[in-house]
Amino acid sequence: MAERDHALLESEDALLQSASPLANGLGVTDTPLQQLIRQWQNERYAPEILAGHEAALNVLLDHIRRQSDTIQHLRNDPGSSEDEHFRIMLAQTEIERVKFVVRSYIRTRLHKIEQHARLIVDTPGLQGRLSQTELNHAQRRFAKLTETYFHMSVLQALPEDQRGLDDDAAFVPPMIPEPNRSHSVFVHAREDCPPVPLPDSNFLTMRKGLIVLTPYSVIEPLLADGSIELV
Amino acid sequence: MSSEARQFGDLATQLVQEARRSTLTDTLLKYNDTLVRSIVREQRQLDTLITQTLAQDVTFTGSNPAALLYQTAIQRNKRCLLAYHSHRTDRLRDMYWAVGGALPHLLANTDIRAKLAPHEVDYLREYNASIIEFRSDFTAELDIAASITHPPKDLHVLVRVVRDCGAIQTEVGSIDFRYGQRYMVRRADIEHLIVQGYLQEV
Repeated sequence: MAERDHALLESEDALLQSASPLANGLGVTDTPLQQLIRQWQNERYAPEILAGHEAALNVLLDHIRRQSDTIQHLRNDPGSSEDEHFRIMLAQTEIERVKFVVRSYIRTRLHKIEQHARLIVDTPGLQGRLSQTELNHAQRRFAKLTETYFHMSVLQALPEDQRGLDDDAAFVPPMIPEPNRSHSVFVHAREDCPPVPLPDSNFLTMRKGLIVLTPYSVIEPLLADGSIELV
Repeated sequence: MSSEARQFGDLATQLVQEARRSTLTDTLLKYNDTLVRSIVREQRQLDTLITQTLAQDVTFTGSNPAALLYQTAIQRNKRCLLAYHSHRTDRLRDMYWAVGGALPHLLANTDIRAKLAPHEVDYLREYNASIIEFRSDFTAELDIAASITHPPKDLHVLVRVVRDCGAIQTEVGSIDFRYGQRYMVRRADIEHLIVQGYLQEV
């Protein structure tokens, strides 16, 4: 039993470094952790919610769970040597650090979803970017919660015809805020990119390794296919 | 401010300024119930004015300057009211996450409690319920409400107890944290206690 666990920890260690590499379309393979870290970075810099990265996320979550179980086994095993305890500690620290990234990624998305709950509920196109859990939160709970709150605190006291939450009046900003897509982002090209149109009808061509500052809307398609990353 | 020197929309401006001040100083101000009520009253008054104006305008052709003026004021007031309330909920959610989603702890604080309106407490409770549901999808692996300000560098942390908090389950069994004691514990086990102010990192 113990022998098998020890072997397991070893193999899991190896996994953490190069777990079931998923091809990312560039001919280069990244571990799910590397993918998630890049996705996390992109998510934190992009003004709007990006497509979720559920595959990598689920692999990592499974992995965290398995790794924690293994560690639990080994810790309770009196036969583990000093040396192994040290390895266990390293693995534990590594798990905590992976958890941090996962947590921060989930929370960043949650924050954006709450900011734009109304927009997401009204735009079916955006809903595909969310996982089922996130969509449930946005649609069934958060949007409704906000609406109820506005109604209880303000709208119910107003005359009947002033209670709408989607008035479309001239010269005032829309009531359902949209993400600011002209927000500037730093972009790092991970490979040579096809030219993309700039707002002034010029074209931007990025060679591999180039870093530029540009409006988010310009590089949005490149971000979706993974040839660039936000830094 | 005397009532004769007041224009439509002045009150709403005050309300928005208050929200702005709260953001700039990063403090939660007391919910301004009086001001909100006065604005709602102004809204009703404006609504009556519009109805009257339009009733008098027998030859209404689609544009009536007075009615347009009232309408604009109504629009603006409403947006200001909503902006204030959405500012409040944003703040409340930030506070909720800052204590790691420990709502009872937040509501037990009398200082904070005194600044909240009853429907804001309801809002927090409902929000808490929806977050608990969201969290439940991840409980097998990790607690998403834990801190995301600093990546963990060490597995263990030395803490000092600044407030009694009773027996807590940790990986080495249950520890009874008493005022003044020091412990070397696993960060993940007691992080929420640091956030809530029971323990202090040394």
